Amino acid sequence: MGSLPEWMAPADEGTALLVRKAPRVSRAVRRGLGGIVGIAAALLDDGLPAGRRGWLGRVDARAKVLGLLFILVITTLVTTLEPLALCVGAAWALALFGGINIRRVALAMLAVPAFTLALAVPASFNVVTEGAPLVVLCHLGGGHWGPWRVPELLAVTDRGLFVAARFALRSAACVSLASVLAASTRPQDLFKGLRGLGVPSAFVMVAAMMTRYLDLLLRSAEEIHLAKLSRSLGGVGVAREQVWAAAGMGELYRRSRTVAESVAEAMVSRGYTGEIHTLRQGRWSWRDGAFVAGCLAFGAGLLALG
Amino acid sequence: MDKVFDFRGVSFAYPGREPSLREATFDVSEGERLAILGANGSGKSTLLHLMDGLYFAQSGDVRAFGQRLTPDAVERPPFGPLFRKRAGFLFQNSDAQLFCPTVEEELAFGPLQMGWKEEEILRRVGDTLGLLGIGHLRDRPPHGLSSGEKKKVALASLLVLSPVVLLLDEPTAGLDPRSQGMLLELLDDLHGRGGLTLVTATHDLELLPHIADRVLILGEDHRIAADLPTERALGDTGLLLSVNLIHAHRHRHGGMVHSHPHQHTRTHDHAHGGGEDHGH
Amino acid sequence: MHIPDGYLGPQTYLAAYGLMAPAWVWASRKVKRTLRLKQVPLMALGAAFTFVIMMFNVPVPGGTTGHAVGAVLVAILLGPWAAVVAVSVALAVQALLFGDGGVTAFGANCLNMAVIMPFTGWWTYRLMAGKSPADSKRRWVAAAVGGYVGLNAAALSAAFMFGIQPALAHDAAGRALYCPFGLSIAVPAMAIEHLLLFGVVEAVVTGLVVAYLSKSEPSLLEGGVAPPPAPGGRPLWKKLALGVAALVLLTPLGLMIPAKLGAGDAWGEWGGDRLRELAGYLPAGFGKVAALWHSPMPDYAPRGAEEAALPVLSGWYILSGALGVLAVAGLVWIARRWLSHKETDGIAS
Repeated sequence: MGSLPEWMAPADEGTALLVRKAPRVSRAVRRGLGGIVGIAAALLDDGLPAGRRGWLGRVDARAKVLGLLFILVITTLVTTLEPLALCVGAAWALALFGGINIRRVALAMLAVPAFTLALAVPASFNVVTEGAPLVVLCHLGGGHWGPWRVPELLAVTDRGLFVAARFALRSAACVSLASVLAASTRPQDLFKGLRGLGVPSAFVMVAAMMTRYLDLLLRSAEEIHLAKLSRSLGGVGVAREQVWAAAGMGELYRRSRTVAESVAEAMVSRGYTGEIHTLRQGRWSWRDGAFVAGCLAFGAGLLALG
Repeated sequence: MDKVFDFRGVSFAYPGREPSLREATFDVSEGERLAILGANGSGKSTLLHLMDGLYFAQSGDVRAFGQRLTPDAVERPPFGPLFRKRAGFLFQNSDAQLFCPTVEEELAFGPLQMGWKEEEILRRVGDTLGLLGIGHLRDRPPHGLSSGEKKKVALASLLVLSPVVLLLDEPTAGLDPRSQGMLLELLDDLHGRGGLTLVTATHDLELLPHIADRVLILGEDHRIAADLPTERALGDTGLLLSVNLIHAHRHRHGGMVHSHPHQHTRTHDHAHGGGEDHGH
Repeated sequence: MHIPDGYLGPQTYLAAYGLMAPAWVWASRKVKRTLRLKQVPLMALGAAFTFVIMMFNVPVPGGTTGHAVGAVLVAILLGPWAAVVAVSVALAVQALLFGDGGVTAFGANCLNMAVIMPFTGWWTYRLMAGKSPADSKRRWVAAAVGGYVGLNAAALSAAFMFGIQPALAHDAAGRALYCPFGLSIAVPAMAIEHLLLFGVVEAVVTGLVVAYLSKSEPSLLEGGVAPPPAPGGRPLWKKLALGVAALVLLTPLGLMIPAKLGAGDAWGEWGGDRLRELAGYLPAGFGKVAALWHSPMPDYAPRGAEEAALPVLSGWYILSGALGVLAVAGLVWIARRWLSHKETDGIAS
C-alpha cells in the first residue's frame, strides 16, 4: 500500500463544509422504489404453510381459480346494480372470514375502486351522459368557445349517475375478487393450479421462476438504490437523477442476465434438455368441489338478477 | 480404480477473451477427494464447468466415465442423462441453483428429467430431505431460506439423483461457521459411507485438509502449477506464495508489528522473541 | 396504461384474447427456437426485470415522477418476440399474484403492452439505429425515440379500447355499460398524458439504459438474444415493407366486411358524423375543426368518390393507405439522415 494522502484523516472536514444548503434529495429519489416493501411482505407471506392461511387458503388453487374467475366473468356481464353490489359484498366477506391477511388486500380493494369512482364522477355530468338534470352545478350559458359548443348548464344527470355508479361498482367487484384470489393463494400453489387447469407448463415455469427471482431482483434494486441515496447530498437536478435511475436499471439488467445464465447452467447440469416435466397434481377434495359448486351457484344467481 | 475424469491438454477461452485454462492434463479416480486450488480468476470454476459438460474444451480432450464430453454426447441418451445423473454440480451461488417454486419441486426437478416413476421420486425426495434434516422445509419457497438452508437444499437436489461425483464450487463461501462445519461433516460422511468422489474448487486453504487428499494448484497463468497430496501442498510455502494463495502479511501483536508469509489454515503457531506464543 | 377489469366489455376483452392466442403461440415457438435451453431462465428474468422496471420512479422536469413500462427496452435487449413472452408473464403475475391490473382484461393489456408496444418501439429503434455500432449515440437516441413511439402507440390502442365501449356496449336505455367515456374524451385524455408525461419517462428510461449498457457492457446490446439476421434472409426494411404492403392491401377488407354484413363502419375509421353518433357526446364544434383541418383526403377518399362503387372505394383506400405509409416512412428517413449526419459531424470534429 502507498502512503496515505494528507487529507485522508478523520479530522479533515474541509470539503464537506462547502455544502452550504441542507441536503435536499428529491422526493422521487427518496421514494425511489416505493412499492418494494409491500411486494417483499407479500412474498414473505408465502412462506406460511397453506394450512395456516384460513379455510380459503386450504381450498385447492384449481378450484379457486375456476370458481373466482367464473364469478369475475359474470360480473362483466350483468347490467344492474344489485348483483354487482352483492358481488362486492361477497368478496369482502371472503376476505374477512376466509382467513386472509386482510391488510394485504384492503389497500387494493379500497384504492382501485376509489380511483375508478373519481374517474366515474365526470361520467355523471350531462356533458358525458345526457339525461334529466338532477343537480345543476353551474350555468355555463351556452354558445361557442372556439370550436367547442358550450352547454347551457353543467349538471349531474339521472342517467349519468347510474352509469357512474355501475362503472365504479363493477370495477370494485372485479378488483375485490382478483385480490381475494391473489391473497388466499400462495404463488407455488397458484402455479401448480394453473398447470392443472391446462395452462402450458413452459409458460407456468417462466412465471414461477419469475416470481422466484423477483425477490432477488428487488433486493438488488434496493441495494443499488440505497448505494445511490447514500452518496447523494445536495439537490442534483432532474437530468442527473434520470441518469442515476437508468444506471440502476442497467446494472439490474446486467445482474439479471448473470443470474439467468447461471440458472440455465444449473438446469442443464441436472438433466434439463428442453422438455419440462412436472409432478402430478393432488386429488380434488370435497372442499374444492363444494367451493366450485358454490361459486357456480352464486354466479348463476347473479346472472339471474340481471 | 476407474477413472471418473481424464483431462488431456485441455484449453478453454471465453469468446473474445484470454484463455482461462491452458493445457490442463490430469485425471480423477473414483472415490478420490480432489481440491482445485487457485487464486481468483485462475480458472477453477472453468475447470468445474468443463468437468460438468457445461463448457467444452477448445483443444485437448475431456473424458468422463470413459466417454468424450461433447455438446452432442451430453445431450443424447443413453450417455447424456446418465452423465447428468452421475455428476452433480454445487454452484457457488445457491440462488442460481434453486430455481423452482418450492423445495420439494426443486428436489424433484432432476429425477423428473430422468423420467423416473413419480412414487419413486417422491420416496427419494423424502429420504434425501430426511438425510439432511430439512424435511420441515419441503413446502417452502427457496427465497425466505437462510444461506445455510439454501446450501443444504441445493446439495439435496443433487444427492437425490444419487451421483457418483460431486463438483463443489466454493461450497463454504458465504456460510456462517456453524453451517460450514455441518456441510463439511456431511461431505465427509458422504465420502466415507457412500464412496462419493469429491472435486472441490476453493481458494480457502483452511478448508483444504477437511475436503481433499490431493490438490491441483492452478497458477495465475491458468496452467496447472502442481498436483500433489494435501499435506505437501500446505507445507510448500514457496509454491503457495508463487501462485498468490498466501501473502506477506503485517500483524500487530500488542505493540509489536511484524511481517511473515501468511496462510489461512485453521491455526498456525509462531513465536517471536520475548513475546508469548500465540495462534491465529 | 394497465386496463383494470370492468372497464372493457366481453366483446372487447374476448377479441383481445383471440388476437393474443396466436401471438403467444408464435412468440413461444420463436423464443424456443432461438434460445433453446436458456429460454426459461432468460424469459423469467426478463419478466422479473420488466416488473421491477415498472417500480422505479423516474423524475421528470416539473416535479412529477412517473414510471416506465419497459416493454421497448426489453424488446431491444432480448428481441421483440422474447418481449412478447416476458411482458405477458410479468402482466400475468401482476394480475394473478398481486391482484393488480386485470384478469379479464389480461389479453387486452398484453395486446397493448406486450405486442403493440414492443413491436412499434423495436421497429422504430431498428430503423433509426441502422447498422450503427453498439456504442454510438445514434443507438440510444433511437432507443429513446423507440420508447416514446412504442408507449404512445400502446396508449392510443388502450384509449381506443376505452373509447369504443360506450358505442359497443350499452343497455336498453342507451347507457354505457363499461367505460363511459367515448373516443372524443378517452383518446385526447390518454394522448395528452402519454405524449407529455409518460412518453417522456419511457423515452428517458429506454434511451438512458441503452446508453448505460452500451458504455458498460456493449455485448449485452450487441449479442443480445435477438437472432442475428440469417444469411440470405430478407433485411429488416424489406420485411417491414412487405408487412406494411400487406396491411395496405388488406385495408379494403375493413370496408367490405361491414358492407357485406350491413354493419356500421370498421372500427377506428369513423368520420365526424359516425363519431358523433357513437360517442354521442361530441361537441358540435368538432365539425368546424374538422373543416378547418380539412385533411387532404377526408374519409380516406376525395369528395365525390364516396358514392362510388366498392371496388373504386377500395382503390382509394389502398392509395390513401400507401400515401400515409409513405409519409411516415419519409419522416423516419429524415430522422435517420439527421441522426447519421450528426454522427459523422461528431466523428469529424
